Order: sequence, then structure tokens, then C-alpha cells
Amino acid sequence: MTRTIKRANRWFDDRLGASGFVRTALNKVFPDHWSFMLGEIALYSFLLLVLTGIYLTFFFQPSLKEVVYDGAYAPLKGVEMSQAYESTLRLSYEVRAGMVMRQMHHWAAIIFLAAIVVHVGRVFFTGAFRRPRELNWIVGCSLLVLAMANGFAGYSLPDDQLSGTGLRIAYSIALSIPLGGTWVAYLLFGGEFPAESIISRLFVIHVLLLPLAILGLLGVHMAIVWRQKHTQFRGPGKTEDNVVGSRLWPSYALKSVGFFFLVSAVTALLGGLAQVNPIWLYGPFRAADVSAASQPDWYVGWLDGALRLFPGWEIRAFGHTIPAVFFPGVLLPTVSFGLLFGWPFIEARFTKEDVRDHHLLDRPRERPLRTGIGTGVITFYVVLFFAAATDVLATVFDVSVTGLLVAFRVALLCLPPVVAFVTYRLCKEAAALPDEEDAAPVVVRTASGAYVTGHGHQAGNGGDGTPRADGLDEIGSGPRPDAH
Amino acid sequence: MTRRSAALLVLLVLGGPFSVLVTMLHPAAAGQPAGTADGDVEQGRALFTTGCSSCHGLRAEGTRRGPSLLGVGAASVDFWVSTGRMPLKTGGARQAVRKPPAYQRDDIDDLIAYVTSLDPDGPPIPELDLARADLAEGGELFRANCAACHGAVGIGGALASGRLAPPLRPASAAQVAEAVRIGPGTMPNFGPDTFSQDQLEAVVTYVESLDHPDDRGGSGLGHAGPIPEGFVGWLAGLGALLLACYWIGDRE
Amino acid sequence: MSDTSRDERRTERAIAVALVLSAITALGLAVTYATGGQVQLEGFLLGLSLGTMGWALCAWGKHLLPPGPFVQQRQHPAEADPEQEPVSRLVDEATGEASTLPGGGTDTEGLDAVGRRPFLVKLLVGAAGALGVAALFPIRSLGPDPGRTLFRTSWRKGARLVTEEGRLVRAGELEVGSVLTVFPEGHIGEADAQTLLIRATEDDLRTRPGREDWAPRGQVAYSKVCTHAGCPVGLYQVESRRLLCPCHQSLFDVIDGARPVFGPASRSLPQLALDVDDDGYLIARGDYDEAIGPGFWERP
Repeated sequence: MTRTIKRANRWFDDRLGASGFVRTALNKVFPDHWSFMLGEIALYSFLLLVLTGIYLTFFFQPSLKEVVYDGAYAPLKGVEMSQAYESTLRLSYEVRAGMVMRQMHHWAAIIFLAAIVVHVGRVFFTGAFRRPRELNWIVGCSLLVLAMANGFAGYSLPDDQLSGTGLRIAYSIALSIPLGGTWVAYLLFGGEFPAESIISRLFVIHVLLLPLAILGLLGVHMAIVWRQKHTQFRGPGKTEDNVVGSRLWPSYALKSVGFFFLVSAVTALLGGLAQVNPIWLYGPFRAADVSAASQPDWYVGWLDGALRLFPGWEIRAFGHTIPAVFFPGVLLPTVSFGLLFGWPFIEARFTKEDVRDHHLLDRPRERPLRTGIGTGVITFYVVLFFAAATDVLATVFDVSVTGLLVAFRVALLCLPPVVAFVTYRLCKEAAALPDEEDAAPVVVRTASGAYVTGHGHQAGNGGDGTPRADGLDEIGSGPRPDAH
Repeated sequence: MTRRSAALLVLLVLGGPFSVLVTMLHPAAAGQPAGTADGDVEQGRALFTTGCSSCHGLRAEGTRRGPSLLGVGAASVDFWVSTGRMPLKTGGARQAVRKPPAYQRDDIDDLIAYVTSLDPDGPPIPELDLARADLAEGGELFRANCAACHGAVGIGGALASGRLAPPLRPASAAQVAEAVRIGPGTMPNFGPDTFSQDQLEAVVTYVESLDHPDDRGGSGLGHAGPIPEGFVGWLAGLGALLLACYWIGDRE
Repeated sequence: MSDTSRDERRTERAIAVALVLSAITALGLAVTYATGGQVQLEGFLLGLSLGTMGWALCAWGKHLLPPGPFVQQRQHPAEADPEQEPVSRLVDEATGEASTLPGGGTDTEGLDAVGRRPFLVKLLVGAAGALGVAALFPIRSLGPDPGRTLFRTSWRKGARLVTEEGRLVRAGELEVGSVLTVFPEGHIGEADAQTLLIRATEDDLRTRPGREDWAPRGQVAYSKVCTHAGCPVGLYQVESRRLLCPCHQSLFDVIDGARPVFGPASRSLPQLALDVDDDGYLIARGDYDEAIGPGFWERP
């Protein structure tokens, strides 16, 4: 058995000469901190989205052609609806495993976006976006935008009442763009809402264009991580010049593959136990119908909340209109993502300390200002998200929806600075506390490629790019450092 | 009931705090037999005098505290009293809310008999024959006329000025039909010219079917749309995976 | 002047002509598209534009750049020892063996070799730009010209009101406190024509000047499309006679010309002028007198 493997190995190696690279790859060291796995949740959710999504495309028909329903769901028998809605009903009711696939797909999308957001938060608060990783920060933020866009496109595909309402609002937002808004809306939708071609267009965008873009950028994202090596927290034996952690093979690989199964397990459990987007209860889209509690999926919630909170300031002058929707619907996301993409450069501009590379991470408390700004900004968007739920909150807690809206307007302006200031003060306090030394033994891969073991208290502070080999026991020489 | 409890249990495990929301959205249904208009006028007068006249006046002519009930019809009296909304609780509620009815069925019939004896106008209690009603048509009508306020699954919704469109689950078929015809409170009414008898029966049938919506996808999460879905996705989905990260990865 | 340099000058000229031709045909393609399009012409011009561009690049590479040959050593895959590679490369570089290009040419020199002909580079950028612009034109096919379509709905003078189920609406059938979604006859379900018919008491309505006869017997009709983000304004609260939009909670006062009184909307819902025809059915007096729904740039 072993001999067969060895022979096969040799056969491939003679032709590809890959063993050197593979050996380097398998020996690659990844730092072990739990927060470094957040991106993996996103990665594996995406993988699940592709797998379940392919299954769904076998049954979904992206067409607005009207048909009369004659399927298994009695309350809609005989109702006129689009093929898109009908085929979604069919794949939910008549296709075996269709419902669980559809629900897993939807839950995976919800988790995908949540994981990306948490991952971005981790990178932000630990300063992992600093030089030389600005480029990967931009790639990552692009992935966030693409994921959001693709989530919304998918949410809009079944042509149910809820998704139609969402599309109607998206159309109005497109209309609101000054100068070319009507053209943008007409070219995007193929005419005045609800245009015939929107579902088939969204389908191509949802299953081809955006997934391809996401896949490509994911590759770039991970290639850059591979090339630059992962950042790590300060700790015994950890310096700006090394990476301390597990080797890709075997421990990291097994953990990572295992983690893929865990992500799939959670998604499957949700897909089977928790109902998501029950379109049969919402009914087919009718332009004149609407339901209370019409909300987008959570990751678009902040935009919906902004639309609710922004006052009706419509600018009308010189025979033209800048609709109120423009400010929360177009300007706010533009500015939001502009600041997000540009943050590494903004911070470098103001801290003026970014002339060197950073491979050791900050602890959030060490950067009170950045952490304060971060929590303040998060508060801003959380308030916006909850503002998108005012009607649901008003129903559940029996309060006035109009009163709630006013309260949210106040909260949106007051809460972020308060949270930012409190965080800033807390970080200052925490940073002043003495750091407890970690005395656990660690295995370190030195710059020369050797593995050494040592103890935290011996290994020095390891904090400022000063590798200290004294007090470390060499445990054998590994392969040379990676070839880049 | 067991299926619902099982679903609720799953939800408790999965959704944590969200389960509170679900229970709040799902008050237990309280079935009420439909009224018959064969009550006793004299007994009704006595009940009215003690229970209703302080606000509506001795002969239901209305006072500053309450509107005239002349010509409101049997449907109106039955709806308000059988849903427990009348008599009002003392204390400044923004709107009359559903509570256990203060009167037995017989007493309500007596009250109806008395009030309609003062003025026989107004919508009668609709007679319903739901056996042959068109469920799908009812769904279409519901989504076109009712879902805007009560929500697509009838869980209720927020209105302006602190008003709420109540959840429809607790309402009996008769009460739904009465509400459609009379438009209680801030709800518009849908008279026989707007909704034919067939259409009324269709809508009522659909609303009744929403007592047990087809949750073949699992726990219904309160039927409040993407907001609770987002919470479950974050708390149960990402939350569980964060714990897994924490278990797999290094802590320090 | 030597033969080679004369040849080079001739090739350069030919390349320049090809690039100009590429740019011209690309623009011609755009013009063809803009004037309605013609299949054979589109194919011919696109082919010519791409073809001349392709020929120019190939000719440039073939005749105007250092010809080689360059030599690179082949290494047997299994022998490629990654541990040794960087060291050996270092050695090679130190001894000058790594640079097998004649004259020690490197990447930057390759760039220089191209950059030595700034005129051709400018032409190349121009031709590529023209092709890019021509490639953008088909985007126009994605949708029709908005024109005045956003200012119009299917409501016409004399159009009878029908419900979603297609039933004609009689004047007076709606009770006070009732609401109905209506469309112009023959246009049921049209998104921009959806209209709310509400019965209010005549005395309550605060009629705007010029709209005195728009609401016969208190039957008043407003566009159902929210002026904020376009959702159907579906919630009618009879007691306060207000319309609430379930999407973003804009509140409109039905009594006062559907003026926005709360929330993010800033414009009243447009009112549809109603009349009663000889058969007693409600009809429209014409289309809305302003664009319905959310705002857009061209809206005055």
C-alpha cells in the first residue's frame, strides 16, 4: 500500500516536479488563534452556497412568464404566478431534498455575510490591514460588496411578494441617482418597473457573473495571504520575522477540513429545522400588494433602516429633483464603502507610523482610538439595522412605530459617539493594566527554519521584532524557509 | 400541539432570546362559538345598563366617553364583546385590545338583541358556509387587502399613532368575518359591494388556515420575516460556529 | 540610412496606419450602432477593427522588437530542488549566467523597447480606447429610452375604474371608511397605474384649489405608489384617515390631499381626478397631472 502511494508519487513528481512546492506548502506554518478562522467560515459557506446553488439551478426557471399553479401547495392552487415563483414552489414542495437545499442555500448566505462582517471586524480591530496588507484589505472589502450584491440578487429571484417589494425599492434607489438615474434604472431593469427581463438578468448575475467574480477574488485573497503569510498576535517567541503556529500538514489541514464539516453541519441543521423565507406564505408578486413587515435580509437591513430614518429632504430646483432616497440609498453606501476601502490609507495618513511592515497584530485595547472609532461605526450600522425592524419591534413590544422612529433618529446621532468614547476610555484603562506573561511552552520555527521549543517567560517579550533564540531548545532542523 | 412545542424547543436551543419574540407573537387561540341573534331584549337591557351605559349612554345614544351604538348592527356588537375588547379596561390604553370576553355567549346574544332592538340597521352577523369556500381566492384577496396591515401570515403589524393591527390567529371565523364587514377601530370596512359573500367566505377560510401555516421548512420563527431569520442566522448559525472556532483554535 | 532602419520606418508607418484604421472602424461601429445597427456592417467593422489591431501588435512584436533567440535552461522536474534553487539562482545572477538575453536585456528593457516608439504607443492607446468605447455601445440595448414614460400612466380620460378582480366600480358602492385598489379598465395589475379609492365624508375633505370636482361624493383617489421609495401605500387607518406605507412608514393625510405628515416621504400622493359616467360607474377625468411615485432627476 505504502509502496503504491510512493510509486504514484514518484510518477507525478517525474512529470510535474511538484514535490518541492508541495513539501513547502505542507510545512507552511499558520498561526493558531481562534479568531483567524473567521474567514474560513465565510469560505466554507461560499463553498456550500455553490454546491446547494448548483442543485437549485437544476429546477429553478428564471422567467416571468405567467402560469397557473397546479402543484402540491393547496392555498395557491389555481393562482396565476410567474414561472420563477412556480418553479421555486415546485422545488420546495415536489422535488425531494429541494426544500432542505433551498433553505441551506439561504442560511448559508446569511452566515456567509455574517462571517465576512465578523472577519472584517477582526482584521480591523487587530490592525491586520496595515502595510503590507492594504491590498488584501481592498480585495476583502470587494468580496463583502460582491457578497452583499449577490445575496440581494438571490433574495430577489423567486419573484414572491417580499422580493418584489425589495426590487421595487432597489429600482427607486436607482431612479434617484442624479443626472443618469432614470437611464441606470431602465438599463438595469430593461424598462419601467416591473420590467419583463429583470428576473432572467438577475439569474445570470446571481449564478454566473457575481459567483465568478467572488471565486476569482477569493483566489487572489488567499494567494496574498499565502504569499504574505498570516499575521500573528504578540507572544513568546513571536516576532515580526517569524510565524508561530501549526503546520498546514497535518494538524491545520485536518482541523480546517473538520471545520468545513462543522460549517456544513450547522447550515444543514438550520436548513432542516428553521424555516427561512417561506415564499409560499408570502404569495406571488403583485405590484399593488404589500405585506406588513417587509424587510430585506439582514445584510441589507442597514440600508432599509437608513431609508426609514432619513428625513424627507427632497431637493427640487431648476426643473430637476434630487430625491430624498438618494442620500440614504446611494450616498450613504458610497461613503460607507469609500471609508471602509480607504481605511488603511486613512489610518496610515494620520498615525504616520506606517513606514514599516506589520506582521504582529495589535490587541484592540492597545489602539484606543481605532477601537473606539470601530465600535462607534459598528454602533451606527447596528442602529440602522434595528431601524429597519421598527415595525416588527413596535408589534412585538407594543410601542408606537412613529415614536420608535424618532427615538432611532436620536439614537443614530447620539449612540455612536457615546459608544466610541466609552470604548476609548475602557481601552485606555485596560492598556494601563500590567500584561500577564504567558508561561506555556511553545514550538517556534526560527528564521533559519529550525523548530525550537521554549517557555514564554524565557522567550522574552518577542514583541518588537527582536527574535531571541536564547533559552530555546532546538528540536531538529526543518526544511528551509519558504522560497519567497 | 406537540409539533409546535417541539418546534419551540428547537427554537429555544437555536434562537435563544428570539424565542421570547415568537411566544409574544403567538398568543393561544381562543375559539368562540359564533353568535345567534335569538337573545332576550330585556335581559340585554339590564346587562347593557350595568356594563355599557356609562360610556355609550342608557339608550346607546353615545356620550362624550363613547360613541353611539345606534345602527352599528349585530356584527359590531358581537365582534367587540366576544373578542373581549368591550367593555374597555379602565386606564388609558391606546386601543381596545383582545382579552378574555367578559360575557358568556348567552349574555352577548342578549346584548345584541337589545342594541339591535333600538335600531335594526347595520350589518348583521355574517352567516358563513366555509365548506365550499375557495381557499386560493381567499389567499389572493387576503394578500391584496389584509396583508398590508396584518402581515402576509397574519401575525399583526404596527400602524401609525401607536395603533396595532392585531394578530389574526386568536380570532374565530365569525369574528374575522365581522371585522371584515364592520371595520372595527381603525380598520377599513369591506361591505357586501366590495367583498361578495363568496369572497368573504374565501378570505375567512384563508385566515383560518393561517392558524396553522404550512411550516414544512421547520420552525416558523414567528413568521415575522427576515428580521428573526437574521437573528437566528447570527445567534444560532454564526454563534455556534464561533464557539467551534474558539474550541478548535488557540485562545492566546 | 541603412536598409534595416528604412524597413523599420516602413513597418512603423504600416502599423500606424493599421492602428488608425482600427480606431476609425471602431468609431464606425459605434456610429453603426447608434444609427440603428446593421448585422453585416457590424460584423465587418468589428472584424476590421480587431483584425487591424491584432495585425499591428503582431507586426510590432515581429519586426520592431529585439528578435532573439533567447536561451533558457530546462531542468528535469524531479531535480528541481527547492532548497537549492534560490541559492543557485543567486550564484547564477552573481556570475551573470542568469541573464541569457543578448545585451543583458531585462523586463524593464523590454518595456523600453516598446516605449522607444511613443507615437505608436499613443496610436495604440487611441485605438484601444476607440474599441473600448465601441464595446460600451451595446449596453444601450439593455433598456428602452426612459423618455417621458415616467410621467405617464395608463389612466385616460373616461377610463373606468376596475378592481384587482376586474369588477367595475359603481359610484357610491364604497361605504364611508372603505378603501379599494383600482386600475384603469384593461390595465389590471399595472405597477404605475395602481390607485387607491377611498370613501371619505365630503365635508371632511380639505379640497385643494382646482380639484373641487375631483372627488364625487367624497370618493377620492390617490396614486398607491409611495412618493418615497415606491412601495404600495397599503395601510389605511380609518380613524385618523391616514395612509401608512408599510416599507418605510411614511404617513399621508387622506383628508388633506394625501400630504406627507410623518416619515421619509416629502411629496403628497398624486390625486386622480374622478367623475361618474352615465351608467353610474366611476371614471377618470384623465391621467395624473404629475409623475407618480418616487422622485427622479428629470422630475420638475
